[in-house]
Amino acid sequence: MRKTSITGWLLASPLSLILLVFLAAPIAMIVVVSFWGATEWAIYPAFEFENYEFLLTSSVTYRVFLNTFKYVAITWACTLVIGFTVAYYLAFHIRTLTWQIVLFLLCTIPFLTSNIIRMISWIPFLGRNGLANSALISWGVIDEPVEWLLFSDFSVILAFVHLYTLFMVVPIFNTMMRIDKSLIEAAADAGASGWQTLWQVIVPLTKPGIMIGTIFVLALVMGDFITVRFMSGSQSANVGRMIQNDIALLQYPSASATAVILLVTVLLLIGTLLRFVDIRKEL
Amino acid sequence: MEPRPRSFYILSVFFMLFLIFLYGPTLTIAVLSFQGPGGGLTFPMRGVSLHWFRDLFEQQAVGDIWGSFSRSFVLGLMVMVTTVVVSVMGGLAFRRRFAGSTALFYLIITSLVIPSILISLGVGLIWSQSGLPVHWSTSGFGAQLTWTLPFGLLIMFAVFNRFDPSYEEAARDLGASPWQVIRHVVLPIIAPSLIGVALFGFTLSYDEFARTLLTSGSYNTLPLEIFGMTTNVTTPVLFALGTLTTAFSLVIIGVFLLIVWATNRRRARLGSDAGQGMV
Amino acid sequence: MTTISKIRYSRRSMLKAGGAAVAAAALPAPMVWGQETKNITLRQFGTGVSNLNEVATKVKEDLGFTLEMTALDSDSVTQRAATQPDSFDIADIEYWICKKVWPTGNLQAMDTSKIANYDKIVGTFRSGKLTPESVIAQGTAPHTVGFTSGQNGKDFVQEESGWMTLIPTIYNADTLGIRPDLIGRPINNWSELLNPEFKGKASILDISSIGIMDMAMVVESMGEYKYPDKGNMTKEEIDLTLGIFTEAKKAGQFRAFWKSFDESVNLMASGEVVIQSMWSPAITAVRSQGIPCVYQPLEEGYRSWGGGIGLSASLSGMELDAAYEYINWYLSGWVGGFLMRQGYYSAVPETSKNFMSEDEWGFWFEGKPAQGDITNPFGKVMEKAGAVRDGGSFYDRMGAVACWNAVMDENQYMVRKWNEFIAA
Repeated sequence: MRKTSITGWLLASPLSLILLVFLAAPIAMIVVVSFWGATEWAIYPAFEFENYEFLLTSSVTYRVFLNTFKYVAITWACTLVIGFTVAYYLAFHIRTLTWQIVLFLLCTIPFLTSNIIRMISWIPFLGRNGLANSALISWGVIDEPVEWLLFSDFSVILAFVHLYTLFMVVPIFNTMMRIDKSLIEAAADAGASGWQTLWQVIVPLTKPGIMIGTIFVLALVMGDFITVRFMSGSQSANVGRMIQNDIALLQYPSASATAVILLVTVLLLIGTLLRFVDIRKEL
Repeated sequence: MEPRPRSFYILSVFFMLFLIFLYGPTLTIAVLSFQGPGGGLTFPMRGVSLHWFRDLFEQQAVGDIWGSFSRSFVLGLMVMVTTVVVSVMGGLAFRRRFAGSTALFYLIITSLVIPSILISLGVGLIWSQSGLPVHWSTSGFGAQLTWTLPFGLLIMFAVFNRFDPSYEEAARDLGASPWQVIRHVVLPIIAPSLIGVALFGFTLSYDEFARTLLTSGSYNTLPLEIFGMTTNVTTPVLFALGTLTTAFSLVIIGVFLLIVWATNRRRARLGSDAGQGMV
Repeated sequence: MTTISKIRYSRRSMLKAGGAAVAAAALPAPMVWGQETKNITLRQFGTGVSNLNEVATKVKEDLGFTLEMTALDSDSVTQRAATQPDSFDIADIEYWICKKVWPTGNLQAMDTSKIANYDKIVGTFRSGKLTPESVIAQGTAPHTVGFTSGQNGKDFVQEESGWMTLIPTIYNADTLGIRPDLIGRPINNWSELLNPEFKGKASILDISSIGIMDMAMVVESMGEYKYPDKGNMTKEEIDLTLGIFTEAKKAGQFRAFWKSFDESVNLMASGEVVIQSMWSPAITAVRSQGIPCVYQPLEEGYRSWGGGIGLSASLSGMELDAAYEYINWYLSGWVGGFLMRQGYYSAVPETSKNFMSEDEWGFWFEGKPAQGDITNPFGKVMEKAGAVRDGGSFYDRMGAVACWNAVMDENQYMVRKWNEFIAA
C-alpha cells in the first residue's frame, strides 16, 4: 500500500511543482507586495496598510465591486437558461455520438478566432450605422438607430454571454449524459408530462453540472477586464480594470491589494458553491 | 425510430439561433476582411478584393505578425505536450489517495478559477523582483500552464472515473509489469481523450491573452501582438489576420480529427478492441 | 488601456560591451565604421508614432547598423523606461514621460557639442520660445525638462547647459477632431465638447496625463474657471475639473472613451462620435477612408506634445558612438521629411525641407493650398489639390499652443480621481 502512495506522489510531482511555482508563489508574492509602498516609478518593501485602507474606505471600490457582481448575476442567469437549453437539446434530442461531436465542434469553432479581433467586430455589428441597426430600420421596427446596443451594459453582457455560454453547456451536458435513461422512462410510465419530467427529474439530477458551470462563469466574469473595457467603451469599470489601471501606472502595491481582495471574494464565493457539489464524484 | 416530438423542432430552431449568435462576429470579420483598399474597420464595405490578405504578408508599418505567430505556435506546442504528459501523470496519481492529494486538488481548482490577471501580475512580480528575465518560453510558458493544466486534469479525472480497472487487473494477472500495463493497456484505451487534451492544450495556449500579458517578455505572442496592433492599425488587415488565424485553427482541428479517424481505422483493421473500455 | 507591460530585468552582460570596447580600442577608429557597424544592434522602443519599420530599413541602408524597433502604448513605454533600463538602448519617448523617468537615472544625457544640427533645432525646445515674442505655454513645456546639469545628472536645469535629456525629434499641436458633415456648423471653442447638442456623440481619451489637459482646456473655455497653471493643478482644481466631466458623463454626454489610436479612428469613421479628442494621424486615417474629418483649430489654442530620443544609461563604447551617429542622422532630414509628410513637425525643419517636395513643404509647413494631390509616405492620398492644412502654417499652429501634455506634482492624486471618473 505504501508503495502505491509513493508512486502516486511521484506521479503528481511535476504537477505540484508547476502549480507551486506558477500559482502558489505568485499568489504569495501578490499578498506580500500588497503591503509595500510605491513612488512614481518604483516600489519598495515595507509593511503598511495604506493600500488596504485606501481601498476599503473608498466608495469607488464598493461601486466597482457591485458593478462586477451585477455583471456576474445577469450573465449567470442568461448563460444558465441558454446553456441548459442547448445542453438539453444535445443530450436528449441528438441520437448519435457522431452528431453530438459534430455539433459541439461547430460550437467551438468561433472561439478559434482571436478574442480581441472578435471584440472589435462587434462594433460594425452593433453600432449606430451597423448591421443590426440597419436591419432593424429597414424592417421598420424602429425609426432611429438604437443607441444602447453598443457601449452599454447591454453590449457588455452580450459579449460575456457570447464568450462564456459554452462553459455552461459542457458541464451540464456532461451531467445530463450520465442520467440513467430508465429514470426518464419510469417518469413517463408513471404518467408525467414532458414539463413535469423536466422539472422534477432532469433538473434536480443536473444540479451538479449547473453548479460546475456556475463556478466557471463566475470565475471568468469576475476576472475579466478586457471585455468590459471594449464593450462599454471604457465607460464602465469592474475590478479587473481597476487592477489593470494600477498596473499600467506602476502602482503595483495598490494593484496587489485590489487583487488580494478580488481573490478572497472569488474563493469565498466558489468555496460556498463547492459545498453543494462534490466535484470529484461528479466528473 | 421513434417520431420526433414537437419540442425537437422548437429546440432545433433555438440551437440554430444560438449558432448564428456564436458565429456573428466570426462572419462579420470574414466578410469585412475581403474589402478593397479603401476599406476601414466598419461597414459599409468599400470594395471587394483580396488586397488585405496580400497586405498581411508584407511588412507592416508597425508590428511583426509572423514572428509572433511562430512564437505562439512553438509555445502552443510546448504547452500542449507538457499538458498531456503532466495531466496523464496527474490523472494516474489521483486514482488513489496520496499525501497532500486533497490540497493539490484544491490548488488545481484555484488555478482554474483565479482571475488571469492575478497570475500575470504575480509571476511578473516574482520574476522582476528576483532579476530573472521575463521571457515567453519561461514565465509565459508557466503562466499558460496554470490555465491549460486544470482543463487537462479535469478531463483526465473524468476519464479515469469511468475507467474499468478490470482490464489492468487482467493484464497484471497475465504478468505485465506496471510500466507495461500503462503502456499497453491504459494508454491505448485513453488515447482518444489524450487527443482531446492535446487539442485543448494547444488551442487554449494559442489564444491565451490575459495570463501572458505581463509574462511574455520583450517579444510578443500572437494575441499580444494583435492587441498591440490595435493601438496603431486601423485597416482591415486585422480582420484578414483574424480570418487567417481561424482558418489555421480549423486546419489544426482537422489534422487532429484525421489522426483520430486514422487510428480508429487502424485499430479496427488490426482487430483491437481498445477504446471499447470507455463509455 | 493597453498595458503590454513586460517586466523584465536583464542584467546586461558587461562582457558584450567590454569586448566591444576592447575591439574598438585595438582598432584606432574614432568613428564607427566598416565591418564593426554591421554587428551593432541598437534596440529602440517607443510609441507607434515614430517606431516605424521604414526608419529601421533606412538606417540599415544609410548607417549600416541594425535598429530593432518595438512599438508600445504610452503607459507601457513609461513603464519600460522606468523599470527595465537594460532592455533598451534608445528610448523614443515624449517629454512628459521624460519628466517621470529622468530621475530614475536610466537615461544618460547627450553632449550637445556632438550634435551637428543643434543650432538649427527649433527654439521651442531650447529656449522655450518659438519666436522671440512667443509666450511660453502652460504644462510640461519641453525646454523645462530638456536640459540637465551633466552627463549623469538626474535633475533639470532651466538653461541650455550643453547636456540634453532628449533630442527633440517629433511634435505636433493637438486639438479636437470633428465630423463637419454630421455637425453642420462651425466649431470654435473647446467648450463644444460638452455641448448638450452633442449628447451621446462625444468622446475623450482614457489616458490620464493627456486627457486631463483636454479637460482643463474645455473647462477654461466654458468660463467655469481660469487655471493659473493647467499643467500643475492643485487637488481642488483636479476635483473641480473631474467633477464637471463626471456630471457630463452621468448625463450621457459621452458615447465611449478610447484608449488606443484605432478606437478613436473607428468611433469617428463609423459616425458613433462627431466630436472628440484626437491625434493627428487618426484624422488622416479617417480622411483616407473618404470620410470628412477636420482637425479643428480652436480659439483658445492647441494642446501640444513633443517627443524625443533618449539614450540608455548603460550605453557605452561603440554602441554609444553609433547612437550619436543615429541621432545626427535623425536630425539630418530624411526622417524629418518622412514624419512631416504625415502631419507631424520635425525639430529641425530646415533639413527636412530637403526631403520634401516644394508642394508638400508648402502644404504641411507653410499652410499654403496644395498645388496637386498630397500623398503620405505610404502612397495614400491625404489631400486633394487646393486643400489647405487645418490650422494653417507651422507658426500659426505651434505659435498658438496653450498648454503642453503635463505631469503634475499631484499626479498620483490625479490618477486616482481619474479612475473614479471612469468608474462613475
